[in-house]
Amino acid sequence: MSASLAPECNEVKERYDTCFLKWYSEKYLRGAEKDNKECAGLFNEYQKCLSVALKDRGIDKLLDEAREDNKENDVRLTAPRK
Amino acid sequence: MVLTHSTNHTYSHPFPTVTLAYFLRYSSPQLNPFAAHVLSTDTISSHVDPKTQRLYTTRIHLKKSRMPSAVYKLLPASVSGGSSGEKASYILETSVVDIKEGWMKTESRNLNFTGVLSVVEKQHFKVPSTPEAIARNETDVNSSVMFKSRLGEKIRGKLGQAQEGGSGWLPGLLGGLGAKGIQRSIESLASTKTIDQLSKSRDGMRLVLERLRNGGVIGVMEKLRQERQRQTMTM
Repeated sequence: MSASLAPECNEVKERYDTCFLKWYSEKYLRGAEKDNKECAGLFNEYQKCLSVALKDRGIDKLLDEAREDNKENDVRLTAPRK
Repeated sequence: MVLTHSTNHTYSHPFPTVTLAYFLRYSSPQLNPFAAHVLSTDTISSHVDPKTQRLYTTRIHLKKSRMPSAVYKLLPASVSGGSSGEKASYILETSVVDIKEGWMKTESRNLNFTGVLSVVEKQHFKVPSTPEAIARNETDVNSSVMFKSRLGEKIRGKLGQAQEGGSGWLPGLLGGLGAKGIQRSIESLASTKTIDQLSKSRDGMRLVLERLRNGGVIGVMEKLRQERQRQTMTM
């Protein structure tokens, strides 16, 4: 499985990925049980680890900027035409 | 200016398998040797809309930069990070799967270097529209890539990061060639390179799909697990 950008999160990331892929292929794609709650615990654990790394590397700011850009585009594209 | 490039392609695999391959395509260089440039992959959000049952996923990939070296040559080290420095880009990938309606839409964009060049790749996978194609278990995909250079433009009320970091080189450069000229060069250099890479990324998807056909998802996951164990043992 591919690595996490934060090596310290690798282990929990892999456990989450495995859970997700199992849920996705065995349940979601078969139209059964849509909720992926069974992986929620692992996901939270993974995010707790990852969010520190995202902050340290300034990626949280890059994400905010990308969202800002999207908002600007939305305003521009949905504005009434003159 | 903006350059866009759009292509259609048909995979000879059923739609659910194609969506699974999309999620798996960067899992391991052994599963997909065409993804050796992907350094890491992380999921930052994943949820199913209770009303529509659509699955929304956001991931961040770290890739060895795909910006062509010709683009780097146009830029001073203060902007490009230097030729010997780390040339990795963070890619934000969002995807929506609707298994009931039979479509998946994805979008990938770079998070850094956006003051130089923004690349937005969109893919729309869907169950084909003719009964014959459905019977053949095919999946259609339309891919489009948009290139936009904002070098020297005002972004969010201030001048782009390119000029901020470039202390004085940009006005001279733009004076000689013109901002539009440079933007166009960057866009066309990037698009030539990316179109070449698009076919590699399709080759990668096809390889993952073949492995899913032969071993199924359990087989593929078992392979990944064994590989992981080997890595741990050699560490």
